[in-house]
Amino acid sequence: MQPIEIIVIIACVLIVGGVIATSIINKKKGKNSCGCDCANCSSCSVCKNKKENNEK
Amino acid sequence: MLRFALAGNPNSGKTTLFNSLTGSTAHVGNWPGVTVDKKEGVYKKADKPIAIIDLPGIYSLSPYTPEEVIARNYVLDEKPDCVINIIDATNLERNLYLTTQIMEIDVPVVLALNMMDAVEKRGDKIDEKELERRLGIPVVKISALKSEGVDKLMERAYEASQTARKGRTVIEDTALKHLISDIQIALDGQGVLNPLFHAVKLAELDELEVLMHKEAVNMVEAFKKTHIDDTFGDDFEALVADARYKYITKYFSPALKRKNKDKFVVTPSDKADKILTHKIWGIPIFLAILFAIFHLTFSENFLFLGGLLPENWVSLKGTAFEGVFGVGGINSPGVTLMRLVELLTGTISDLIAGWLSTSPEWVSGLICDGVLGGIFSILGFLPQILVLFMFFSILEDSGYMARIAFILDRALRKFGLSGRAFLPMIMGFGCSVPAMINTRTLADEKEKLATVRVIPFFSCGAKLPILTAISGAIVASFGVGNVDLITYGMYLVGIITALIAVIIMRKTTLNGNPPPFIMELPAYHAPQFRNLMMLLWDKAKHFIEKAFTIILASTIVIWFVSHFDFAWNFLPDDQMQNSILGGIGQLIQPIFTPLGFGSQLTNMGWVFAVAALTGLIAKENVVSTLGTLAACLVGVAVDVELDGGVLAVTKIMEITKIGLPALLAFIAFNMTTIPCFAAVAAAKSEMPDKSKFKWTLVFWISTSFIVSSAIYLIGTFWWTAFICLAVAFIVALFVRAYDKKVQAKGEK
Repeated sequence: MQPIEIIVIIACVLIVGGVIATSIINKKKGKNSCGCDCANCSSCSVCKNKKENNEK
Repeated sequence: MLRFALAGNPNSGKTTLFNSLTGSTAHVGNWPGVTVDKKEGVYKKADKPIAIIDLPGIYSLSPYTPEEVIARNYVLDEKPDCVINIIDATNLERNLYLTTQIMEIDVPVVLALNMMDAVEKRGDKIDEKELERRLGIPVVKISALKSEGVDKLMERAYEASQTARKGRTVIEDTALKHLISDIQIALDGQGVLNPLFHAVKLAELDELEVLMHKEAVNMVEAFKKTHIDDTFGDDFEALVADARYKYITKYFSPALKRKNKDKFVVTPSDKADKILTHKIWGIPIFLAILFAIFHLTFSENFLFLGGLLPENWVSLKGTAFEGVFGVGGINSPGVTLMRLVELLTGTISDLIAGWLSTSPEWVSGLICDGVLGGIFSILGFLPQILVLFMFFSILEDSGYMARIAFILDRALRKFGLSGRAFLPMIMGFGCSVPAMINTRTLADEKEKLATVRVIPFFSCGAKLPILTAISGAIVASFGVGNVDLITYGMYLVGIITALIAVIIMRKTTLNGNPPPFIMELPAYHAPQFRNLMMLLWDKAKHFIEKAFTIILASTIVIWFVSHFDFAWNFLPDDQMQNSILGGIGQLIQPIFTPLGFGSQLTNMGWVFAVAALTGLIAKENVVSTLGTLAACLVGVAVDVELDGGVLAVTKIMEITKIGLPALLAFIAFNMTTIPCFAAVAAAKSEMPDKSKFKWTLVFWISTSFIVSSAIYLIGTFWWTAFICLAVAFIVALFVRAYDKKVQAKGEK
């Protein structure tokens, strides 16, 4: 196996694993996990409230 | 940390002030009801940071809808250090009605007279010293839009927050005053906080207060028996409201000096409304505006000038920019920007392919076909999405969207919805998630449920690549119509499906009449450049973020599962049908046979089946999956990510031999089926009854199958149109009969 193959495999695992882990962590924290942008969401505080409740 | 709450009437500029104070970029819309939940930010210019809470707009502290409950509960229960009551100074008397209620709470209050620039432009004057003297609270003139006077407002609010304030009422009616005073003493004795506010609300027999203080209700009932007002009888709510307005008219109106006191002034907004909200021309004008937007965004024959200009002049043949500005016709601004992005992504693709030419086959395949094929086929759509949203934002910010709700109210009422329901639907063109949450402004539970269910039919930004790529491929392969017309048509198919679904729901399972629609129409104003740029920046940032996270991860997974079999053996591109993805696709492929992209495509039907499946994660995945699969099936020699994914779909069409009706059915299926996971989660959170949520999933699946199979059948066998019409007629008869039965039951 060439070095580039190892690098590509590691990169792929990191990207896929990172995306899945981030979305799970965000969901647990009550952060934006909906896929929409908070800045333009008139209901962004719904997620914020969830976060506060989780922290409580 | 000190907490200051922003309270005021809908569309009085609370969120604009919130953004100005906190540096946030919260969505601002020129229509009432944009904010449905409280938002929190921090004001950092003071010595110590101050938390700013933006509350949903309310007309009074007697709540009817969920967001009004949120605002009232926050002011009463969360005990903010100061309430900044922001009022629209162009409509002083009506806005002061809420002020008179907030003043009854034991909390420091500061009055912010917003939109003073508009008042001064009209030549009117407001004596804020006189108002301050009468109200007994600080009054500050501001323009939230221009950030004028906001620092002074915060200084006054900080000063006010340092001293406790007792509530006071403006009700002068002697008899009522006595009743309120008696209840206040009783509540005070019980240790109830804000006794004056609760006493006034109890006198009004406010539903929430009656439940909270049952023992005090007897005092009101006893008073009612002895006190009947000549005008309002025993309607104490009206009596209290009348007392408030009398006070406002008597003492506060003199503080306003109108330039044109005695004559009715026809404003430019009134003149524009005569045309734009015309009872006959209003809807056709709206449809024409919508078409113009689609034409400016998607057309490859801008202003239909194709053929009038020399071909070489338009296409810039032989230059680096060949085809960017058009081939045959001139490209619309949206398409021109898309071509420029493709030029960039094409160059990057070529460079990377060159670098990887000596690397192992699977590495170049994964990076060039999988990752770049998928990501770039999506990124190419970013300019069109931004152009489309820019136009939608202009319509919203100018105040036209609120008018659309008004002119559509009469039409929607026939379908069992009020014009208010149209606003979350329009938000659905951006993203279904905030649109579904915005349905909280609908007071009628059944109307809300029906609206949540049809919101995904209003094609969101993520579905745009599906529409444009397939429309482009249809035009390129079949030579039918043009891209903007097909895209516009498919948007209309979504809207029509939503309306038909609403009629059926409102006449059967969600039977009922919509509540009266009352909405304040905001004055037209020029869209704010800063707001517009912030919105586009956020949209672009979010889209790119999504492309390089969820979409990137999805394309990697798709490439791997399409190049390995269940025994984890690597498969070359020409054996992809034996892969894990191919296996799953072939398993679900028969389900899509009635829609034209299933078993009839023989061993290649799985391609469309898996594309539809990956769309459940995020709708952008549909085109990125087709892009990845096309790159693998065709080979790296063809840059399928070029032409905004159109070439990818064209190649897939050639390989699978899919027909035009099946392609249209595929678009319709993706537009009307279960939306992405995020929207499903939002729908679930808006439906407390879980059985209703399960039925909603069934509704989405069945609607998408009915609509798509009808399109496929009629497109393939024209005579089935008569069968479809007959079935629709029978369904209509059943719905009508059911509705009559329910109405007769109700009358009994």
